[in-house]
Amino acid sequence: MFIITCPFCGERDQSEFSAGGEAHIVRPKQPTELSDDEWADFLFMRKNIKGVQFERWNHAHGCRKWFNVIRDTSNDKIHAVYKMGEKPPQK
Amino acid sequence: MLNINYPKIEKKEFPNLQLNLVEPINKLNLRGKSRDFFTKVGKILSIMLPTESNTSTTIKNISALWLSPDEWMIYGKDIDNNLKLSLETEISKLNIGSVTDVSDQWVLINLDGKNVFEVLSKGSPFDFNKFKNTKNIIIQTLLNHIDVILHHNDTNNIDLFVRKSFSEHLWLWINDSSRFL
Repeated sequence: MFIITCPFCGERDQSEFSAGGEAHIVRPKQPTELSDDEWADFLFMRKNIKGVQFERWNHAHGCRKWFNVIRDTSNDKIHAVYKMGEKPPQK
Repeated sequence: MLNINYPKIEKKEFPNLQLNLVEPINKLNLRGKSRDFFTKVGKILSIMLPTESNTSTTIKNISALWLSPDEWMIYGKDIDNNLKLSLETEISKLNIGSVTDVSDQWVLINLDGKNVFEVLSKGSPFDFNKFKNTKNIIIQTLLNHIDVILHHNDTNNIDLFVRKSFSEHLWLWINDSSRFL
């Protein structure tokens, strides 16, 4: 259990949120030109690193908005939270 | 077939806690972002929609609750069919925003008394320490794993909105928890 600061509602318990997987995965501009392997890479292959990871989260039991989180998966420490469409912080 | 009856909720009293069903009462969900939307809502309801998160505005018998940056719920005794029709014709039909009648979707239960926060703390992950000292705060959270909207409209007085299908279960849970205060 850990606390997540929703960019809209403020500090809330993790149980109010649902994780949405890795962030900043860009959809290919021409999917029809991709090979099956490249398309499978885009659809299914995700990093699952031990350490700092960029993730999407949804405040499912609150404002129902999506946002991005930079989280260390080894100790659940959250380094930054930023809204959808914003660039991740440099530091 | 849709069950339109209200759940079997009768007024209950516990030490320093009163539970009461406040139904029927009209509730509308408003969504929109544009300046026109805010102006039209302000003119029709004579109320400014709160733009600050987790806040609400109450004027006379109408309350506007902030739900997300582009979503509000309004409820109150003064919301009648004429007001609803004006909002629909001025907002929905002109595609400025959306107006949805959620009166039958949410059930309003009023909790009153010094032990309100004791009961809520038993089944919610939310930290009520800051919440209980500030009026007109609105919180969407979980209570006994059920989605609820809490409106702190007066000291130790909370309007709790719960989805109708969960309301009887939550009501029984609140009753059961209140016995052990």
